Amino acid sequence: MIAYIVVVFSFVLFFSPAGELFERFDDRRLLWISQLRTHWLTNIMLVVNGAGSAYTIRGLRWIAILVLIVFRRWRHLFVFLGSIIVVTLITYQLSIVLARARPLGITILAGWQGYSMPSLPVASLSVTLVGIAYALVPQGRFRAVAKWIIGVAIALLWFARMYLAVDHPTDAGFGAIIGVAIALVAFRWFAPNEIFPVTYKGGKAAHLDVSGARGEAIGKGVLDQLGLTVLEIKPVGLEGSGGSTPLRLKIAASNDEPERYLFAKLYAKNHVRADRWYKIGRSIMYGALEDEYPFQSVRRFVEYEDYTLRLMWDYGIPTPRPYGIVEITPEREYMIVMEFFTRAIEIGDSEINDGVIEDGLRIVHQLWDAGLAHRDIKPANLMVRDGKLLVIDVFFVQVRPSPWRQAVDLANMMLVLAVRTDAPRVYEHALRFFTEDEIGEAFAAARGVASPSQLRAVLKKDGRDLLTEFRAMAPARRPVTVQRWSVRRLVLTTEALLGGLFFLLLIVNNWNAFA
Amino acid sequence: MINHPGHVLKRRVVAIAVGMALLPACGSSGSSWASDTRLIDCRASDTELVAFQAVPSAIYMPCVTAIPLGWSFAGSQIKNGLVQFWLDSDRAGFRAAEVTLTATCDIRGAVEGSGPASQPGIVRYEEPLSLSPRFSLLRFDVFAGGCVTYRFSFEEGASSLLVFELDQSLGFLPRSLAIRKVRDLLGLTLCGAEAPPCPG
Repeated sequence: MIAYIVVVFSFVLFFSPAGELFERFDDRRLLWISQLRTHWLTNIMLVVNGAGSAYTIRGLRWIAILVLIVFRRWRHLFVFLGSIIVVTLITYQLSIVLARARPLGITILAGWQGYSMPSLPVASLSVTLVGIAYALVPQGRFRAVAKWIIGVAIALLWFARMYLAVDHPTDAGFGAIIGVAIALVAFRWFAPNEIFPVTYKGGKAAHLDVSGARGEAIGKGVLDQLGLTVLEIKPVGLEGSGGSTPLRLKIAASNDEPERYLFAKLYAKNHVRADRWYKIGRSIMYGALEDEYPFQSVRRFVEYEDYTLRLMWDYGIPTPRPYGIVEITPEREYMIVMEFFTRAIEIGDSEINDGVIEDGLRIVHQLWDAGLAHRDIKPANLMVRDGKLLVIDVFFVQVRPSPWRQAVDLANMMLVLAVRTDAPRVYEHALRFFTEDEIGEAFAAARGVASPSQLRAVLKKDGRDLLTEFRAMAPARRPVTVQRWSVRRLVLTTEALLGGLFFLLLIVNNWNAFA
Repeated sequence: MINHPGHVLKRRVVAIAVGMALLPACGSSGSSWASDTRLIDCRASDTELVAFQAVPSAIYMPCVTAIPLGWSFAGSQIKNGLVQFWLDSDRAGFRAAEVTLTATCDIRGAVEGSGPASQPGIVRYEEPLSLSPRFSLLRFDVFAGGCVTYRFSFEEGASSLLVFELDQSLGFLPRSLAIRKVRDLLGLTLCGAEAPPCPG
């Protein structure tokens, strides 16, 4: 389809007799259609032509945008808006380059604006309807029906515009091809259904559907690659996870182990992209806070988590036992499998005694001794089981971190523990593991974004100013600023500004097409 | 371990390539941010055909013969019933001159002007709106089936003599010329005044 567009476009643009040939061909077809004109059919065609009016198309777009916002399907929303912008830019710029007149030799019966090829109303309606089908209608029977309805609607508008002689047949056809092709390609590339299905069941878009073919592939992969038989796959803790699809796997009993549960995190390309944008955003906002370089593939992504999990396990830090990586689809989807902490509850919902407080502080000390930083100490990543504190989610672990990063881990752990108890009690225990200077440094470093957003939210909800309480107890230290400037930050910021400016120029310079 | 420089470079090259491909859409194609079409330039090209289609009754089309120094084509709008284009000036300001063709126009308040009519059958009317501190003038060229409205609105301090610069560069394209071109080149009819009746 795209090849057809390129060939026809090049032929017409660089070989002027071809343009005249097209003109004659189109006008003959229109003359033939004009013989069908009757008063009542003209009225019907004018109504049909209204489907291509700016008001109708804007109405449809606003409805789609509002539905996508209500259901918080941001990816679909951006792909929808992106395809509309691209189609508008292409049709508008092509119309200026081709500069084709409206049909000649026949009376034009409806309103029009600008050049005729490609037809902006047909392209706009096509991209809008196809976008709606792919962004709002669930895949399957409903979408199949929607595609037929869209096909009929576009064909009707095409015929109406030819009947009214506002477009040539090739104008409307070209517009329809551009609108449909760009929307299809955009949704299949950037919001493929297998990764971002359209559902109205709730849940985050980052979470993959693990039923059907993917569920079977997971079961087969775990059996082939880890030698374990999966009896059940159940998504768990979705509300606390945006960077992967967390799963609980029920594993069949084997000769040496009873039936049990394992925890798994399923990663796909979208998680790598999300991580990349997150890190770029942090680099621009704060500079070189820590290691903000993004991963380049799902394989590397999952390999790194497997490595940190094994590293923590080797150092005796109470983290889940690693079971290994399962390849679901090469280079596209991987799953990391680890121990499931049965009966463990999140620290925020658990009783905290002195043993748990000491566990937490000991874990930070172990991390320091091992030359590691967890970097994501927050209530959701600390579990309590039988009075013992356990750490999960080691994806952000950094090896040989800066002293600043290690200090922040300590401050975050103390804050989490104090939320469930009180600051003096935690401080007193901390002195058994750390010097006053180290604690002072930790709270000088723990500022703003250095603490995970969940921890900041919990502190805010708690109401007590625990940070100030800790700082009052610890020796006074000059605050450590989180803003760091580097060449990379400057380059990224400049790129982002230029990108924004470029986008703005695209919109402004093509405003007539959008407005 | 995490970041492969080759990948970053590749992504940047792709981003730059996409940016370069879209660059013409940022305004370097000769079209302006509010433009429907290219410049209407008295050559009976496709742009002028579209303009004649917009006002089929008009026997003349206003056009630009040559843009004077210090002036620039800023945009146009062509739709059924209306042809409009406007020019910016480095001295008279943005949209200092706006030229509009419609089938009819309201010339009440205007007086017949003394300026030279460049084509037969055109009567000129003028309605000065303000001389100081800003020069502002409405001018109408009325002819069979059409009326061209010129709205000159200069920035404070800009000389009214700039109108004469523009007078030299604005002209008229006769419909008969476009009709002949369409007939000779395509064997088709440019529907409207001075042409055989069109079907439908």
